[in-house]
Amino acid sequence: MTGDSPQPSVEARAISKAFGGVAALDAVDFEVRWSEVHALVGENGAGKTTLCNILAGIYRADAGQVIVDGVERDFRAPAHAIDAGIGMVHQHFRLVEPMTVAENIHLGWPETPGVVSQRTLIDRTERFMSEMGMHVDPTAKIWQLSVGEQQRVEILRVLARGARVLILDEPTAVLTAKEAEELFAVVRELAASGLSVIFITHKLREVLAVSDRLTVLRQGIREITRPTEGATAGEIARLMTGEERLLSVEHRVVTGESTLELRGVSALNDRGITALHNVDLTVRAGEILGIAGVSGNGQTELAEVICSLRDLQSGSIAVDGADVASMSVRAVTDLGVGHIPEDRIGMGMVLSAPLKNNAVLHNYWTEAFSQGLTLDRQEVIDFAKRLVEAARVQTRSVFATAGQLSGGNQQRLVARREALAADRLLVAAHPTRGLDVNAAQEVRATVLDKRDGGCAVLLISDDLDEVLLMSDRIAVMYEGRIMGVFDAADADREYLGLLMGGHTPAEASR
Amino acid sequence: MTPLGSIAGAVLSATPWRLDRRLEVDTRRAALSRISGAVSAMVVVGILLLLTGRNAFWILWQALDSILGSQRGIEGVALRAIPILMTALGVALSLRMKVWNIGSDGQFLMGGLAAVGVGIHMNGPGWLVLIVMAVAGTLAGAAWILVPALARAYLDVNEIITTLLLNFVAFQLVVWASLGFWRDRESAVIRSTERVPVILEKIPGAESVTIALFVPVIIAAALWWVFRSTTIGYEVDTIGGNPRAAGFAGIAVRRRIMVVMLFTGAIAGLGGMLQLSAPGAQAMNAGFSAQFGLSGFIVAALAGASFWGVMGGGVCIAAMFYAGVLLQTKGLSVYIIFASYGVILTGIALGEIAARYRLARRDTEETGTGSDAVAADHASEGAGS
Repeated sequence: MTGDSPQPSVEARAISKAFGGVAALDAVDFEVRWSEVHALVGENGAGKTTLCNILAGIYRADAGQVIVDGVERDFRAPAHAIDAGIGMVHQHFRLVEPMTVAENIHLGWPETPGVVSQRTLIDRTERFMSEMGMHVDPTAKIWQLSVGEQQRVEILRVLARGARVLILDEPTAVLTAKEAEELFAVVRELAASGLSVIFITHKLREVLAVSDRLTVLRQGIREITRPTEGATAGEIARLMTGEERLLSVEHRVVTGESTLELRGVSALNDRGITALHNVDLTVRAGEILGIAGVSGNGQTELAEVICSLRDLQSGSIAVDGADVASMSVRAVTDLGVGHIPEDRIGMGMVLSAPLKNNAVLHNYWTEAFSQGLTLDRQEVIDFAKRLVEAARVQTRSVFATAGQLSGGNQQRLVARREALAADRLLVAAHPTRGLDVNAAQEVRATVLDKRDGGCAVLLISDDLDEVLLMSDRIAVMYEGRIMGVFDAADADREYLGLLMGGHTPAEASR
Repeated sequence: MTPLGSIAGAVLSATPWRLDRRLEVDTRRAALSRISGAVSAMVVVGILLLLTGRNAFWILWQALDSILGSQRGIEGVALRAIPILMTALGVALSLRMKVWNIGSDGQFLMGGLAAVGVGIHMNGPGWLVLIVMAVAGTLAGAAWILVPALARAYLDVNEIITTLLLNFVAFQLVVWASLGFWRDRESAVIRSTERVPVILEKIPGAESVTIALFVPVIIAAALWWVFRSTTIGYEVDTIGGNPRAAGFAGIAVRRRIMVVMLFTGAIAGLGGMLQLSAPGAQAMNAGFSAQFGLSGFIVAALAGASFWGVMGGGVCIAAMFYAGVLLQTKGLSVYIIFASYGVILTGIALGEIAARYRLARRDTEETGTGSDAVAADHASEGAGS
């Protein structure tokens, strides 16, 4: 360490961590200084949250050291990290909703007096808030507060426990633009008062707006640590998404009739917030349209409205000219629409049921298996055997439950099942997420086969490499809007990365 | 999770242990653990009896002899088995869909009450009266679960509470009927409804068992077929396994929940009618249901919602209750008998759990905030934005 560089507040040296044999972090070095806002940047699954969970004592690293203020630490519980002055504000708040702000801040705080009146709690809270220069009504109940205010309570709670290093995990994900601006001001002030703030994000604008230095993680490896000053969004986007690889899929330019047609589609997410804004999309028979974007920007809702699993607010969706918005899920499936759902365990299969039941989930009512009320048991078993063989699912028997399969085998089964159901359109949401290389290649081959067979494919993935590899055309989604649609041949990784990070095409091409 | 497994898992949640489902259930091992559960419970009961100075072997002999030693014994078991089997089949059906119908006692009572109402007011040939009674009992059982079913299917209101509480309402209605509006004012029996003049046909050669015995057998066979060979059975099992996957497959989940819950109530209600039209019953009073709903629930939970398992388990529990009653006449106190029931059922339940689960110590790294954090981490990495 050179003499002029300031003393780091927290230092991680060669941290490695694996989950179930998959490396989440591979010998990552990370260093944060006092009085700085340090942005930790990367795509989903790059290891940002894992790294911070290790710093906060939630996970233990498989290898490597954590050094806090010059002292090596071995955190075995979050309490140890808090004692060492490291506090983390999680994406999902851990507040007690029916209690007041003052009560929440004092909950489980060693300095809370044993016997205390509401008055004292409120006074103490107000004093603390004015010290910190942040204010929330201490008598308000948590559920009465806006999300931004709740977040401030979380930050205050962590600071009250003496945190000198504050970790914010994707803090703007739940905030409105105005609330985010307020948060940036708070974060800057905390850093100015001498604290370290680690700011996890994948939004490039935020990195540039709030941080002093930044570290980019990609697939568990640190790509760079550098001062934010002088960095460009394009450079960060390229580091986040990686260098282009050699690809071997032939991209096509398909003209002709469109199979899937979305016009002005708007829809709400489960929390009742608009997740799709006026989306127009066209997918033609025999092409793959890839949706690039960081997950959580409306992709889930997009897949669900097409399959009639979610109601439209406005707009129209047509498959081969038939309006699917007014159809039942089954009627849409009967049009020849297959859907590899994003959440294969939660939605795509019944883990407690045997494979034979899972094999026919999307076609058990068809004539092949059912004449009116009856279900031909032998036919189901035979079909399941054929499917298991075609999908190369490793199992001893079709009577084994789906829960006994490995994740890769589950996904191969679902992917093949849906590919079979898809005569006209296949909606594939994150079809290779969590798979090892071989399983991912097989699933990709299944999807490409469908395209070559004349099926329209809508591929949703947060892995930009995958979208670039597979797609004939690419649409970028950000906050429920289509930022642009490009032929694969014209797609530029850096440019796409900028659009995925929320830049408009005009801003991005500058 | 089987119903029993969820209960056991909940009990263990406060301990450093948890249950892991066995990925592969070896039939012989499973049978062994079930038998050893029952046998070790019997041994515990035997030791308790020996400690209180009684001859356990003599008592066991008396119990077996009272059940199997005479036609009367066998018929006695059959009579007790019918209502238990009916409630148990209803509950087992609901458990296939992971719906916990705790209200089969109430549905059973309402079935009996509706049948009494028809039986004492309707004039006509006996067979016709009985058919109308059966229809009324079935409909009343279904009606008694209608509100919980609507609330569960369309408002996601937990059915355990609603069905359970309606048991008490049904019981009070029966008391009211037997002391009030349908009270028997002619006979000396004062706390009972009027008697229904008709009974079901006895099985040829039987002293008291009627053709009602065939009803649970037919229902079990029908349910077995439905779940083996129809799309409805497939859909119910899919809803029970994963309601979101059922929605993904285009199954009308709410409507199915509705219909299945009505059927579970209907089966219990028909059970009430069958109980009423047995010789000697024919009227309702506060003691009409000897906790048949509870016994049925225990049977269904132990059988893991398998319909043939319900049939076997229902007969066994009926035999145990029958032996218990007879042993009281041989000088065993009712407390000892109840305690023995409890020990035996617990033993069977533990054997059943051991057949399907193994006990594992919670991984030290995954406890407390750690496991929460794992979940939160996956959620945040998944949701991303």
